[in-house]
Formats: sequence, structure tokens, C-alpha cells
Amino acid sequence: MPQLHDVDYTLEYPYTRTTGPVIGPFLTGLRDGRILGQRCGDRVLCPPMEFDPDTFATLEPDLVEVGPGGVVVNWTWVAEPSAKHPFDRPFGFAFIKLDGADTDLVHAVDTGGDPEAMNTGMRVRAQFRDERHGSVADVYFVPEGDAADQVIQPGEEPVTITEHLIGLRINEPLYPHRARFAQGLLDGKIIGQRSPVTGKVYVPGRGYDNMSRVLMSEADEVEVSDVGTVVAFTELNPVQYYGQTETEPYVRCSILFDGTDQPVIGIDIRDMTVDEMRVGMRMRCIWRDPDERSVEDIDNRYGNIPETVYARFEPTGEPDIPADELKEHSW
Amino acid sequence: MAPRPCAVLGIGQTKYKRRRDDVTLDGLVREATLRALEDAGATFDDIDAIVIGKAPDALEGVMMPLLSLADALGAIGKPIHRVHTAGSVGASTAISAVNLVESGMYDTVLTIAYEKQSEGNATWALSGGKSGGQGAGGTFAPWIRNYIARSQAPEHIGWMVAVKDRLNALKNEYAHLHLPDISVEKVRESPMLWDPLHFLESCPSSDGAAAMVLGNDDIAKKSGRPPAWVISHAKRTEFGQFPGRDTVRPQAGVECSEALYRKAGITNPREQIDCAELYVPFSWYEPMWLEGHLIAEEGEGWKMTDAGDTELGGSFPVNMSGGVLSSNPIGASGMIRCLEAANQVRGTAGEYQVPGAKISIGHAYGGAAQYYAMWMVSSELNPEL
Repeated sequence: MPQLHDVDYTLEYPYTRTTGPVIGPFLTGLRDGRILGQRCGDRVLCPPMEFDPDTFATLEPDLVEVGPGGVVVNWTWVAEPSAKHPFDRPFGFAFIKLDGADTDLVHAVDTGGDPEAMNTGMRVRAQFRDERHGSVADVYFVPEGDAADQVIQPGEEPVTITEHLIGLRINEPLYPHRARFAQGLLDGKIIGQRSPVTGKVYVPGRGYDNMSRVLMSEADEVEVSDVGTVVAFTELNPVQYYGQTETEPYVRCSILFDGTDQPVIGIDIRDMTVDEMRVGMRMRCIWRDPDERSVEDIDNRYGNIPETVYARFEPTGEPDIPADELKEHSW
Repeated sequence: MAPRPCAVLGIGQTKYKRRRDDVTLDGLVREATLRALEDAGATFDDIDAIVIGKAPDALEGVMMPLLSLADALGAIGKPIHRVHTAGSVGASTAISAVNLVESGMYDTVLTIAYEKQSEGNATWALSGGKSGGQGAGGTFAPWIRNYIARSQAPEHIGWMVAVKDRLNALKNEYAHLHLPDISVEKVRESPMLWDPLHFLESCPSSDGAAAMVLGNDDIAKKSGRPPAWVISHAKRTEFGQFPGRDTVRPQAGVECSEALYRKAGITNPREQIDCAELYVPFSWYEPMWLEGHLIAEEGEGWKMTDAGDTELGGSFPVNMSGGVLSSNPIGASGMIRCLEAANQVRGTAGEYQVPGAKISIGHAYGGAAQYYAMWMVSSELNPEL
């Protein structure tokens, strides 16, 4: 089996959160060096909530300052902090009942990396970071005796929206059938899988025939023609989202390669306009030179025949296939 | 054992908007939920179970949001279920809640669906976070062109739907888009996004939530609220790609409507159903679903649109509320179709009420037009057809 690249990419997006009438003032308070709780009957909730946690009745915003001191009610130790943690040295996560609050705030306690300094019942005190953004990470806690007095300059506009780069790293080997398909492209070949039940040829193969519910293996693989018929196309005006690198409109099409039963979707066409495209048009793949081909963009979920393996697709000049005959392949 | 009869007893919607910057996600779902409870004359204490749905988690980047929203929905000590069928999820969620009542397992069920699209980017999410995403419109456009080629429909049909739904939306205070000066000319001259779809033939991106309180026949009697009886429902699925797939008229959609009509004894949907809320995110899907769901003969759906039959005053009104073309909080959009169908038969649709509507359907589809969920509601438990 060919040894190709592992899939390694990070799916991430800078999501936003609207903070609403209770969390907004809470985050604004943190930026301005104050911790606020929400009144709920004769109790004060910190962190504040928009509704009564017992009755679920909506609470009118009524915020009151709590802390900055409090008591550790319970805690756990983070011995090996990750990049997303608030400290680069070991620290505690603790339930902290702030002075004046009736509920516990879960937050980070910095003891200089010493777990022996953490105790249930210990007094802690809030410390605000020099750079504050209206985030729960604007504050952290230290043992009361280690706390420094701080003068905090309040910000200007209230916090109404926050941004969070949330991501998931995907790191896995290519599935064997994907690796063989990708290797085929590097060799200038389109590899499909022929169903042992129906004889239908799928490109790229999924490793199984979803219609007959049987596995397909290397033994079922066939090289198919690199000449085919356009069965669908669309012009894309790229939506400018995070990570989008496309800026200009272009054509994307599905091609049913000769001898196959399922079109390859998502083939990008850069040198023809949408007006030059027709369903039924015969096209051939003009490959890049072997040393210029790359399949890095193929992972286990996305990527069929990427532009990094072909120079272009060009019309063969043969007569079109009537659209009626392509009806069952029109995606 | 026959299923327990199930009725919609309360309906709640938020105002739909590009960005609901005045509320958190908790606040958004509570806004719809509290309105549904109030409409049903119920409180959280009356709810036995909760069924929640939304589109893929990547849209807001909140993983398994049912867990963090459980408190806000009063689910403590109660079962909460999450449903996930892409764009059809709102209707699938409502039907899953109906199942819980019909089974006799629970008397009163709260069902809710939402999307806060402004917190992320749907096209990014649908592209697996990669550059070069095709989006929903880019996927559907070639199928729409095939429909046009097959049916020989004139190009103005799409423009007409775009205008009709936006005019209906002017009567709906919750609708996102209020475009009083919409016209066929404006639609035609708006930028071409994915040939043949112009900008104004496409749905907006909305924040919003929708909720319903469902109860069995005993609860319906006690509540004294006008019931919308759920007299039939159906869900069907097919693969997104397979040789022989008809993307213009997907088999799962045909079979879903056949099952829906069969259960209710409907033999002539065009005559026996008074109005419909169909999932039409792009204008051409109105005629495509009229045909694909057997309301019109193949090739005849666009003629209903052309003749004005699907207008609010027409013989078969479609998307009286303004539809997905006027409000699209994706995960909620299917539930909105279901609850607007219920509004019609309860007589609570206000300015966009179809006079005397007795039987209505709500519909949604999702994925690559591969998931279908439909329900039929009536003002009567056993309506005369």
C-alpha cells in the first residue's frame, strides 16, 4: 500500500457570542475589574444567570458586586496545562464561593505551580490581568496572602459580543482506499471501485457499495477513463468566510467518466466560463506533469480530483450526450 | 394499540433577524419556549419531556448544545432528546415529539428548534471548514436547471415565488425580511448568485427559535386552547448520491408524501388540503415540491404558481407566513413550517390566515435533498375529507 500523507488539519472558526442582558454586564464588569452577581430572590448568583435555576423563571437584570475575596469549596489540580489553559504552569480549578454570593464560580487558582498550597476552605482573591477583553479569562485567583492591590482602569463601551476561535485538530491516516485513489491521481490514473454485486463502478470508491451494502476492497478496484461527460455544473461566487481563499467566480462541475456509474463531483474549471459549459459536453483531463502533481488536499471526507493533479479539463470536440440519458447522474 | 391522539396546544416564535444581538443563545430559546408555554396556558411544571433540534453543531460551534441548554429549557429531572437531520431537523424534531405523545409515554411534550446563524457561518460549516465551499445554492442550482429543462417552465416562475413569499411576510411580524417594495423587476435585477438563482430568490441567514407544546387528547381537553390535531406524519431518507437518483424529484420525497396522505386517507391532496407550508429556501423549490410531493402532476407545479393558485388568496396557498425565503434560522425553519400549518388550522394565523383552513401540511427537507419530514394538522381529530 502506498504511504501517503496523514490527514492533518484544524477545523476552526472565530465564532461570536452575543452576551445578552445579564452575561454582558458580567463580562463588562470583569473588564473593568469588578465581579458581578445576579440577584435571585434573596440569593445572589455568581456566575450570574438569566433565569432562576430552581423555577426557571426569567430574572430581570439586577447585578450586584461580589468578591473580590472568596472561599475554595472544592478543587482539582491541572498538572499538565494545555495551550488553551489560563496558565503555562500547573494550577488548580476550584469552586469558589465569592464573598456576597450564594453559588460557586468555577475558576482558576494560581499557587505558583504548588499543589500543596491548594486546600478546601482556603481564602482566595481575584487578580485582574493587565490585558482584559471582556472575557471570563480577564480574571484569575490567588491565595489571599499572595494577592496584590490593583488599580483597574475601566473600559468604555459595554461588552455585547465576544469572539472565540474554536477549533478541532483532525490528525489521522488516510483510509487505505483513499490512499490508493490519491496515489492513482499522482500516477495520472483515476481509480474506481466496481461493486461485486451490481458491477456498477463508483469514483472515488467509498470502500463499500452503499446500494448493495457490501465492502469493496483493492480487488474490486479498476482504472477508469480520464474522458467523461459533464452531468452538472454551477458557477460559484465565493462567499467570503474565514479561511476562504477563493475571490473570483469560477465554474464547478460533475463529470461522469466513461465506464463509471457515479459522477465525480466538485471538479473546478478555471479556464472556461459558465456560458461555455453544457450538460452532456464531453471533456478530457489534461494532467499536470508527474512531478507537479500533489494530493495534499485529499482527506478522508473531502477532495475528489483536486486541481493540484490536473492542468485543466478540455472539451474533446465529440458530439454531446443527450441530457435525457444523463438524468440519473445529474448531481 | 392505536396511537394516542396528539395536538399542538401552544406555539411560540421569536422575532427572526440577521443577528439577535440582544439575547444569548439561552435567551433566544427561552423567548420561543416561554411564548409557547403561555400560549398553551402551561408552565415548565406541566412538561414531561423535551425534544430539541438544530442544524449541525458547527454552525454555532457549540458542541452538544442540548446539554448546556437543558437548564434554560427547564429540563432538570426530565428527559431531553436531541434530533439531527440537517435542514429538515425542525420538522423531524416536531414529529419525534409527536411520537412521544402518541406512544402514551408522555402526556405533554415541549419541542423546540433554533439556529443562531450569526454566531458562525453556514457556508463555512457546510464546506467542512475548507476554502472553495459550494454552499446550498451551488448544490441545488443544477437540479433546478434540470427541473426547468424538464418541465419547460418559464423563467419568471422563480421571480414570482420570490415576490409572493416576501409579500406574505409583510403580514407576519416575526418574519426576518420585510421588503415592502419587492417586485419581479427587483428580483430579476438582483445579482445572479447561482444561475438561475438571483440574490432575491434565496433565503436569508437568520437568528431565531420556534417552540411548540404538544399534548394528548386529555391535555387538549383540559387546556381549552384551540388544538391543531396532528392527524398524520411521515419521515423518509435516501442517499445523497447513487446511480439512478432523481435529484429533481427524489424518491424519498415522493414516498414521504405518499405515506403522509395514506395515513390521513387523503386521495387528492390538491383538493383535500387547504394550504401548505413547504420548505422553499430557493424560489424554484415551490413548483418542485408541489410536484415532488404529489400536490401537482409532474410538469404542472409551475402552472399553479403562474396562475396565482399558491398566493394567499389562491386556491392552494403556499407559505402564507412568508416561508424560508423570508426567515431562515436553519434548524428552526422546518419547525416553523409545522407550527405555521398549525396556526392555520387553529385559526391563529392573524393577517395571513387562510379563511376556514381545516387541513394543512408542514414540510421540510435537508442535506442534499435527502431527508424529508412532513406533518398534517387539522382543526378536527377526524376531519371530513
